Amino acid sequence: MVTRPSLFRLMALVAVIALALSSCTSAPAPAPAAPAATSVPAAPPAAAKTGAKTLTVAQDTDPGTADVQLTTEEYFLPLNLYDRLVEAVTTGPLKSELQPGLAEKWDVSADGLKYTFYLRKGVKFHSGDVLTADDVIFTFDRMLDPATKALNTDFLDMIAGAKERMDGKATSVSGLKKIDDNTVEITLAAPFAPFLANLATPAGSIYSKAATTKAGKDFGTKPVGTGPFKLESWTPDSELVLSAFDDYFRGRPKFDKLIMKVVPEPQTMALMFKKGDLDVFDLDFARSQIPEFKKDAQWKDRIVSGPRVGTYYMSINQAIKPFDNPKVREALMYAIDRQTLIDKLYYGTGIPAKGILAPGLAGYNDALPGFKYDPEKAKALLKEAGFANGFEMTLNQTTDSPTTLKMNEAVQAMLAQVGIKAEIKQMDSAAWSGTRKEGKLGSYTSSWSADYNDPDNFIYTFFAPRNSVSRSWNYQNKAVQDQLEKARSMTDMAARYKLYQEIEKTIVYEDFAFVPLFHLEHLFVVQPKVKNFKPSWNGWSNMPYYGIEISD
Amino acid sequence: MMLKYVFRRFLQFIPVIIGTTFLTFVLLQVVPGDPIALMMKEHISPDVVERVRKEMHLDDPWLQRYVRYMWDAAHGDFGESYKTRRQVADMLATAFPATLALTAASLLVAWGVGIPAGIVAAIRPYTPADHALTTFALLGVSVPIFWLGLIFQLVFGYKLNLFPISGFKGVEYLVMPAICLGLGSAAVIARLTRSSLLEVMNADYIRTARAKGLRDRIVLVRHALKNSLLPVVTVMAIQVADLLSGAVITESVFGIPGIGRVSVGAIQRRDFPLLMGSVIMTVVLVVVGNLLADLSYAYLDPRIRYE
Repeated sequence: MVTRPSLFRLMALVAVIALALSSCTSAPAPAPAAPAATSVPAAPPAAAKTGAKTLTVAQDTDPGTADVQLTTEEYFLPLNLYDRLVEAVTTGPLKSELQPGLAEKWDVSADGLKYTFYLRKGVKFHSGDVLTADDVIFTFDRMLDPATKALNTDFLDMIAGAKERMDGKATSVSGLKKIDDNTVEITLAAPFAPFLANLATPAGSIYSKAATTKAGKDFGTKPVGTGPFKLESWTPDSELVLSAFDDYFRGRPKFDKLIMKVVPEPQTMALMFKKGDLDVFDLDFARSQIPEFKKDAQWKDRIVSGPRVGTYYMSINQAIKPFDNPKVREALMYAIDRQTLIDKLYYGTGIPAKGILAPGLAGYNDALPGFKYDPEKAKALLKEAGFANGFEMTLNQTTDSPTTLKMNEAVQAMLAQVGIKAEIKQMDSAAWSGTRKEGKLGSYTSSWSADYNDPDNFIYTFFAPRNSVSRSWNYQNKAVQDQLEKARSMTDMAARYKLYQEIEKTIVYEDFAFVPLFHLEHLFVVQPKVKNFKPSWNGWSNMPYYGIEISD
Repeated sequence: MMLKYVFRRFLQFIPVIIGTTFLTFVLLQVVPGDPIALMMKEHISPDVVERVRKEMHLDDPWLQRYVRYMWDAAHGDFGESYKTRRQVADMLATAFPATLALTAASLLVAWGVGIPAGIVAAIRPYTPADHALTTFALLGVSVPIFWLGLIFQLVFGYKLNLFPISGFKGVEYLVMPAICLGLGSAAVIARLTRSSLLEVMNADYIRTARAKGLRDRIVLVRHALKNSLLPVVTVMAIQVADLLSGAVITESVFGIPGIGRVSVGAIQRRDFPLLMGSVIMTVVLVVVGNLLADLSYAYLDPRIRYE
């Protein structure tokens, strides 16, 4: 008699699970109780309108936070939700310039210390509040407030009093001053020519004081900005829906919704694009697909390519013998076949590098001669240096980077051609960065891309005395160091850029301290309905989508 | 009696949780990688890393941090994620429904396919149907989930356009992932049902039932099947753990925003609080799964009683 009930109960269990399943799936996006899905004042559902124009893009990880002060990587939200005092705008191929943003104009004092910003009047936040000087000062102070635990402080720490604020020795930043509701005066601790370029990075995004204070810890998911889009909903690890902000001060975007899908698997992303689920496919997520798209009749004309303002290079540690010998360093320049690296590893989507600065960066010098691949010359130089039979060196990398390994293997083979025996040493990232920080790491291949459009961002990063050690170059040239400091404080930009070009020439063509490898293109494929798609000036994957139009 | 048993089992949670969290915490100290440095990627600035590490108390001795973490956790505070700066408990609560739905759906596939297939194979052993099942079972356990997932996406999602390729917005989004994830378990269950049922069919009481003149179907359903399902239930409990680990891969391939995705991200970024939270949650799920299986024995076999 017990048989029937127990089997029945098993079936009941199945039924319960089925029920649980159906109730879960009918409302997969977190219900109101779930704190993650944010709803900025329930916008009228634009999708309900017939013919709502939508742009759908994808990336492989969830941005995590909309608070740009807490991330140095996730700029999709900041670039579309907020504005900055000054904006870096792409003005042509390889060209960008600083244009007025929330500040309609600004003055810089003759000594390069005082910046006065005149704010645009009547700019509205998504919350309806009007932008004032208080918002600007609040935003910058928040970045430097130790309670924020911000990651992007590098962009503001040159302001007078910033260090004291960060160390908790002051409750405000002495260099931030409100003149009136529409005027802000910022004083720097020392002249820093790239300051404006700094403010034009995502890190310079301006928040609403009222909304940010009100959201408190939730600001990362309840952002309020002045930007062209506002956040409508966010299902973590799944998708973010942004909608056009009607009161945007430059005019409402020409499409209604911007959807960012989070798709971790690149093959999946490619299929979704081909099926039409995505409007833009960033080929950085699946470089191996580049040849396929280039061959495909349907897509080959839909590929949009933009420069990536970044440089791939090989480092040389001059504290390690025989790299103290300039002839040896010069030999390295000719021993590497840059074009082959580009063709074999990056499907031909790049150009050989001639210096430190990348095309598209202010101050880039196209007139540099570059180094031709010439193994015979490299051998001759080694012979001259007393290493006719070559020598042994290391190429260092972290264990978790197969792309770097491929590159290092190729470089290793090229060096072998001229008699240099390079050993590839893989170590965990903590050991790698620890050794590098001490200035004891042998050569490594890496890349640097522009944070802000100024040569200082490249050359100072590598070769300021402290950085030269902590990045394991150990390149010491007093003249170069003095020039680098001088260039930081110059206000005549044309003269500044010229000085940087001289510095670059000294480092690469006289001291042979930096082995330029190549610059890569950034490729996207876009659906025919997407008009006016332009990769941003720096070639980042995260870009502002404001200028795009969607045809019917 | 039963309640007391359940209560005792819950008490056993405590050492299990302490053991697993401690092990995870120690492992996290041993594996290299600084969470702040990893978060900043290429644009790492040593000064910022140093300052933020201090602000987040990452420089304190690890044992001290472990004790503080467990103390807070015992009070319901699981800390906040380094990357999102959101409460870990909130993040897991947001991700849980998706994983629950996926796991439940794949359990349905596992049982719905596995048990009938096993029965068919057992009542007609060594026939073509049985051989087909054996082949299917072998494939089911050996095909990697991510490969199967990509093939499904290509064939059913892209070429045939039957199901959405990726995402999680309704039941249709669950079909392919559930089959992908459930098929391996279905294969195991089918094999087990078959062998268990074959064994039972040879038992004396089955012969007796037949001798009584009962119809084959009644003998099968009422006498044989119920007894043969006992080992199957045991395996199903173990498979909750299997499905949860498989969900990590399935969620990534099909873009399902579940616990698996949260854990993978937390590991990659060394997001300690988030990872600890997901470990605790997974442990609880597995232990509860085992408990449910134990309890279901009592229903299936009245001879089993919990003292």
